[in-house]
Amino acid sequence: MSKKTLNSIIYYAFVTLIAFFMVYPALWMLSSSFKQHWEIFSDVLNLIPKEPNFNNYKEGWQGFGGITFATFFKNSFIIAGLNTLGTIISSTLVAYGLARIPFPGRRIIFMTVILTLMLPMQVQIVPRYILFTQLGWINTFRPLIVPAFLGGPFFIFMVMQFIRGIPKELDESAFIDGADRFRIFYHIILPNLKPVVTTAAIFAFYWSWNDFMGPLVYINSPEKYPVSVALRAFSDPSAVTNWGAVFAMSTLSLIPVLVIFVFFQKYIVQGVTTSGLRG
Amino acid sequence: MRKYWKLLVLILILMSFILVISPAQQQITLRIIWWGSQDRHNRTLKVIELFQKKYPNIKIVAEYTGWSEYYTKLTTMAAGGNLPDIMQQDHAYLRGWVEKGLLLPLDDLVAEGTLNLKDVSKSIVDSGRLYGKLYAINLGNNSQAFAIDPELFRKAGVPLPSTLWTWEDFKRIARIIHKKLRIYGAAENLGDHNVFRVWTIQKGGYLFSEDGKSLGYENDEVYSSFYRMLLELQDEGVIPSRDVELARGSVSPEQRFICLGKAAMQFTWSNQLTAMSRALKNKPLRLYMIPTLNGKVGNFLKPSMFFAINAKTKYPKEAAMFINFFINDIEAAKILMAERGVPVSRRVQLALKPLLTPVEKEMFNFISIVEKYGAPTPAPDPERWQEIYNNVFTPLYDQIMYKKITPEEAAKRFREQVTQILRK
Amino acid sequence: MKKLTKKRKHDLIMGYLFTSPWIIGFLAFIIFPLITSLFLSFTRYDILSSPRWIGFQNWIRMFTQDPRFWNATKATFKYVIFEVPLRLIFAFIVALIFSQRESKVLNFYRAIYYIPSLIGGSVAIAVVWRQIWGYDGIINALLSIFGIKGINWLGDTRTAIWTLILLAVWQFGSPMLIFLAALKQVPQELYEAATIDGANFWGRLFKITIPMVTPVILFNLINQMIHGFMAFTQSYIITQGGPLDSTLFYAVYMYRKAFNDFEMGYASALAWFMLALVGIFTIIIFKTSKRWVYYEAEEGV
Repeated sequence: MSKKTLNSIIYYAFVTLIAFFMVYPALWMLSSSFKQHWEIFSDVLNLIPKEPNFNNYKEGWQGFGGITFATFFKNSFIIAGLNTLGTIISSTLVAYGLARIPFPGRRIIFMTVILTLMLPMQVQIVPRYILFTQLGWINTFRPLIVPAFLGGPFFIFMVMQFIRGIPKELDESAFIDGADRFRIFYHIILPNLKPVVTTAAIFAFYWSWNDFMGPLVYINSPEKYPVSVALRAFSDPSAVTNWGAVFAMSTLSLIPVLVIFVFFQKYIVQGVTTSGLRG
Repeated sequence: MRKYWKLLVLILILMSFILVISPAQQQITLRIIWWGSQDRHNRTLKVIELFQKKYPNIKIVAEYTGWSEYYTKLTTMAAGGNLPDIMQQDHAYLRGWVEKGLLLPLDDLVAEGTLNLKDVSKSIVDSGRLYGKLYAINLGNNSQAFAIDPELFRKAGVPLPSTLWTWEDFKRIARIIHKKLRIYGAAENLGDHNVFRVWTIQKGGYLFSEDGKSLGYENDEVYSSFYRMLLELQDEGVIPSRDVELARGSVSPEQRFICLGKAAMQFTWSNQLTAMSRALKNKPLRLYMIPTLNGKVGNFLKPSMFFAINAKTKYPKEAAMFINFFINDIEAAKILMAERGVPVSRRVQLALKPLLTPVEKEMFNFISIVEKYGAPTPAPDPERWQEIYNNVFTPLYDQIMYKKITPEEAAKRFREQVTQILRK
Repeated sequence: MKKLTKKRKHDLIMGYLFTSPWIIGFLAFIIFPLITSLFLSFTRYDILSSPRWIGFQNWIRMFTQDPRFWNATKATFKYVIFEVPLRLIFAFIVALIFSQRESKVLNFYRAIYYIPSLIGGSVAIAVVWRQIWGYDGIINALLSIFGIKGINWLGDTRTAIWTLILLAVWQFGSPMLIFLAALKQVPQELYEAATIDGANFWGRLFKITIPMVTPVILFNLINQMIHGFMAFTQSYIITQGGPLDSTLFYAVYMYRKAFNDFEMGYASALAWFMLALVGIFTIIIFKTSKRWVYYEAEEGV
């Protein structure tokens, strides 16, 4: 056996071993979603359902009083999709402005970005709710989407750091060629940011998909609930909770984010193929 | 400047236009909010449908969530001045909402007959009364209980206890079961405030005074004796030790030790019997009152939850009509059954009797036993109860069981800290 | 007034144009909650009735009369000190491993490695994590093979927080992905040149890879630190802060103060104290970063 194949075998054996630790809880959730309700907690360690069945999926999908999970998924897709779009557009623009254009005031603007990153969500709930009430935005998707189009601090900071890793000669030379800032951003910076933009898209989608506190507070009508809120509406510790249905719908809710990840990640690992970065 | 004035006028015209063309409200729309699980949502929504069929001019918009962040949502709504017309309220939070003037007094609506409480016994109605006024309508009754697994009792050769069993009986039985079956005699979270409240009643007082301004028992021995008993049982392994309980986190009824076959007696609320027996493949469990102190009963009926009306509602009458329908209508009751606890109306109870499942029958029987023997329902908790529970009661309970502090010392601190909070 | 050159004027306009979304967003949605919460920290506010000005009472109470505030601060510090470096190192190593090769199979593995971060706050995690670390759980079963007596990991005040630290390390997906993106942005030509010069794997790692990704390391460090201090979910869903406050995260305590005890004023004071503290750490990291972060573009903010 050549040294190269041996290396490969060790590499994959290692990666597989860790993979098992990574995937165990997800497997557990999956298996619980096929279990009878009395099996879930009485036989926690067993990953193989004794009487596998689809009832949990059927019962869970029914949702509440005729509003099925089809509605909740649709809402989640609208919210998370638009949120992602907004985040990417605005964050790359703002990050470019902060990372590349020297103008008075950008230090202060950058400081507001970091400050916002540090303000805990728990104390923002009430003031934000009052704000959105004044705007008449309660019980609409707007509080969950519009702010994303105005940039998220995490994403701005992240994209900034990546832009600052791009050699400056690249846009400087374009500048001399007479290209304006926007053309430079669009034609030179953006193509080089493919990995980070993809990363941002994955995060933005997942966070928005999973966000619970926001939609819980801003949205009142169940027909506008996203999946995250609908999932919580299953459980009441003082009454009968259909845990099988909870795990079934949790499993389904995992699929879109996983698909997004699998689909997008190839853009990360491809890296920047633009050659001649260092002309 | 003139440009701006023009713009402003334009906007004003636009706004008034929108106001004019928006359709005049023919129909009355009521918003209602509650917490619950899938089962409760479905049942409640069906009742709403039934109500709307009967009163086509009233449209009811339902908003519902799970329990865990319900009050976060509700208080935030209150801050935004955006509360629904009808709100499901919990006993422990009621006083705060009444004191802030957020709930509508219902006495007039009862007097004029919109809210019919004739079939509800006075003590049950009064559980929603504060400072002399009725603010909330009890939707169902619960009581503290021990759920017992008769099969395990048989296995251990222990006869089922009598209705008025005592703490001595309880300890004796728990020890036998522990010894013979190598499982917990009783579980779980027995030092919980709900058991302690029963204990204080048995000792001739209550956790809080009637006006909610001080503790309701004089002698700190009441507190320390209770936890000494638990410590003793914990040391013998008859009940789960506190570190085992805390490691399990907050468990839902389905995860409790009795559902895992690891305990023969389980502290519970009576309405959770359905969830527990479901987890045990519908194994019949029995409900018993909390053991008596030499015959003195401390159990009481606890309103499982209330409906209350927003003090600022535009339609108090219609909101009251819905609540009235919810608690009195037989068709509605047949949909709701005992999901919110045993219904409060005697007429409804009678009508449901033939339809009950064995588990529900056990619950109904149990509630009637508590009605017969139990103590009157105490007044709602002080407004700051949540703070006391989170920052004083629970930490002290944990520290006692972890043996970081003696029950006597804890009793003293409990009194000091509670008094301090209530004085604020 | 200094007369602006044409380029500077152009930069000024373009700078504000590019950053305008954020400026608008900040003014519209953030400044109000920000200032309100600062204001509320000087009031007694139970959310249901209007706030009442009480001066510095919340702040005084925090430092002098609230032992649970100290419990929460201690638990959070302990968590941050261990979680942040462990998670970053782990994330970096995994990203490095993944960036070495390229294959369809690896795409699959990457997805699997990301799953823990995706099921983060679900009930399933709470149940499974308790099961793993429970008295008759998997970890104790493994220990018993080596004849070690089981520990009640989640019930012991000394060990409970470690289960949460490990949970956070296990959910290393986000920093891993960011590192991966950064590693993939390092121009291949640099490696080729270095290989020709005879540098081995370690040489390339320390001479090229790490310096090239330092801006992203800085980002991950700051971001993870802030997130560590504001960690909420793990403690909230798994341990509820117990046993005996040993895992009471600061954010959990703050949330409970706000929405269980209805002391939003006090919670706001807690929030601003944390903000100040995190702010100081952030500034320190930024100051030192000038020494170890390598920017292609020299101008730092």
